[in-house]
Amino acid sequence: MNYQTESSWGSYNMPTRKRLASENAVVIFSISTCCMCHAIKRLFCGMGVNPTVHELDQDPRTGKDMEAALMRLLGSSSAVPVVFIGGKLVGSMDRVMASHINGTLVPLLKEAGALWL
Amino acid sequence: MFPSWPMRFQTTPGGSSKSGGESTDSGSAVNTLSSKAEAQFEPESPISRKASNSSDQQAFDQKHLQLQQQQQQQLHQEMSNDISRTGPSQNQSAAKASQEKRNGAGSTSEKQLDAKTLRRLAQNREAARKSRLRKKAYVQQLESSRIKLTQIEQDLQRARAQGLFLAGCGNLSSGAAIFDMEYARWIEEDHRLMAELRTGLHAHLPDGDLRIIVDGYVCHYDEIFELKGVAAKSDVFHLITGQWMSPAERCFLWIGGFRPSELITMLIGQLDPLTDQQLMGISRLQHSTQQTEEALSQGQEQLQQSLIDTIAAGPVIDGMQQMAVALDKLGNLEGFIRQADNLRRQTLHQLRHILTVRQAARCFLVIAEYYGRLRALSSLWASRPRESLMSEDISCQTTTDLQIVHQPSQNHFANF
Repeated sequence: MNYQTESSWGSYNMPTRKRLASENAVVIFSISTCCMCHAIKRLFCGMGVNPTVHELDQDPRTGKDMEAALMRLLGSSSAVPVVFIGGKLVGSMDRVMASHINGTLVPLLKEAGALWL
Repeated sequence: MFPSWPMRFQTTPGGSSKSGGESTDSGSAVNTLSSKAEAQFEPESPISRKASNSSDQQAFDQKHLQLQQQQQQQLHQEMSNDISRTGPSQNQSAAKASQEKRNGAGSTSEKQLDAKTLRRLAQNREAARKSRLRKKAYVQQLESSRIKLTQIEQDLQRARAQGLFLAGCGNLSSGAAIFDMEYARWIEEDHRLMAELRTGLHAHLPDGDLRIIVDGYVCHYDEIFELKGVAAKSDVFHLITGQWMSPAERCFLWIGGFRPSELITMLIGQLDPLTDQQLMGISRLQHSTQQTEEALSQGQEQLQQSLIDTIAAGPVIDGMQQMAVALDKLGNLEGFIRQADNLRRQTLHQLRHILTVRQAARCFLVIAEYYGRLRALSSLWASRPRESLMSEDISCQTTTDLQIVHQPSQNHFANF
């Protein structure tokens, strides 16, 4: 799991070739003690994906700001977990789950280069 | 409602009479008279009055008329007292009125008074009639509320019986009791929709009509997930321990409900014929539900572990702090129930999406029957005779009973 130092997560909204490198194809914002974050990490690992995880509670400089920004973005009281795939915002656990059940998650992951088979 | 009767009488003369001095006095006079009237009639029960036929009402009208006359006499008294206050013209009419009353009511000597009297009588009759109608409406409202109350009490009793029947939990919290009641109603609705699906399929309804029933069934499930979401906020333990389910269903409990992948496994044999594409879709659905279930289970396990760590933590330095942390972690349970229900809902929606209308109708009918049988199994198990000597007879008996309880196609039974 990488430890991102950039604070401008807004750049994730603009997919470039660099961002689509397999390690950055799936980005999860998480808090190390959050159990739902743990569940979402297990989901992606179970599918054979290797996501990049940002533990906001372990980022002393920008963690709090990112948390607040994510809360605003999602419009919900809990900032995490949040998933970006191929630079695009997918959402929280319920959106990820819905897209997995209706079959749109796997093609999205393949397109982003996070899954090969 | 009833206290308004005297008030009604109060306004009527106020409306009919022209002279100011009269109205307030007549109002108070009427007040005392009508309250006397109330005292007279109160012993009669409203129900018997309501049930009485027109003859009684006529009698009431007569008494009413007598009252009017009494009122007039009273008024005459008041008016003669007020003669000093009112103007000369009124004096004259008052004198004439008192004269007329001494002669007896109903004489035609003063036309103006007659008209007034008649008008007042008519208005009082009208007021009385409206009053009777209002009373009738009120009593009807009471009756229907009473019926509704007994129905709700029955629902609650059923829910409580189910609750006590399920491993003797004593007092349900109000959130739990409310949910159990709503769930009982949902089950009844489920039976109704199941019957609709069955008749729809047998009648070979056109797809358009069948689609409405099928989509209605999907909404029916959406509804229970929403109810569970609300209940989880007030009593998460009630939901997650499956207290609201029948015991047989509770054997298969997973985060407060059924396991979607298990449901699909149950369905797979019963949905044929399916196209290759549909088979692939169902297989993919089974796979993705399994993966999601696994992820949620692991998340819940981490929650449990973290709770254990918090509560079991060595020498307690600050008990309240420890409890506060534990409570905070417990709050996450609601999130897991919500996500698990979300998974169930998505699974049902995806099934609807993959299947044709007829297939979906059959599919939901199978689901409804399956859970219906689990519930029936629970009640039969609870009511079985406990003597071990009869154990073999009992097992045969329950099978027969199950077949009687559920009429539809027998091939479903092969799986059980």
